[in-house]
Amino acid sequence: MYVIVVGGGTVGYYMSRDLVERGHEVTLIERDARRADWLETQLGSIVMRGDGCEVRFLASTGIERADAIIAVTADDEDNLVALQMAKRHFRVKKTIARVNNPYNVDIFKMLGVDEAVSATDVLLGALEPPLTS
Amino acid sequence: MDREGHDVVIVDRDPNAFSRASTRGVLTRDFRGEQVVGNGTDVDVLRRAGIEHADGFVAVTEGDNRNIFASQIAKHVFKVPHVVTRIYDPERAEAYEKLGLHTICPTIEGAKHIETSLMERA
Repeated sequence: MYVIVVGGGTVGYYMSRDLVERGHEVTLIERDARRADWLETQLGSIVMRGDGCEVRFLASTGIERADAIIAVTADDEDNLVALQMAKRHFRVKKTIARVNNPYNVDIFKMLGVDEAVSATDVLLGALEPPLTS
Repeated sequence: MDREGHDVVIVDRDPNAFSRASTRGVLTRDFRGEQVVGNGTDVDVLRRAGIEHADGFVAVTEGDNRNIFASQIAKHVFKVPHVVTRIYDPERAEAYEKLGLHTICPTIEGAKHIETSLMERA
């Protein structure tokens, strides 16, 4: 699979490393130059510096042939715009978002994102059984 | 809009924004509108601002993506009838205009203005 990861924070870094280890082709997009340089020392040439919300930049990542795009920045609005561009402009089949505000899970789906994952919800889910018993 | 008799609620995530606006004379003492502190892309904050009864919604933060997200929440989640979105990036503005958002791009509008006034003087 060819997967594009938007956002090279902690989540984006480990996710990209894992995807590469599993044999996938990955492009990791990071906006901040210094962070992108560091990521490149760890992951090599899969890192591209740029804004994952910009149509022109996305076009340079070979997005037309991507099987999936995952947006994992710490800003929900940036994740949404990157994925809407990928979906509506480049027809990427699978769009997956990290959402920071759990309320945004349903809203992202309404707005055309295929999967939205809230770390808050996952953690609360782990806490839930003892609370309900 | 407040002076013209409309009910206006301003949402800003920075609590100091309102007093700054007063000091600068942007928000004068006769402003009767409400001020809500919070993130305008958070449905809870928008509900607090009374979005469920709003006739219009304007997103004019400095962040294009924030404006895009807030406007889509207003339009698609709360079905606000009139939504206007400011997007500085011309490419993004064009893309979202195509997706049905009513967008204003100050970059393009400003350039047009400058060109017109240049031609008038030439």
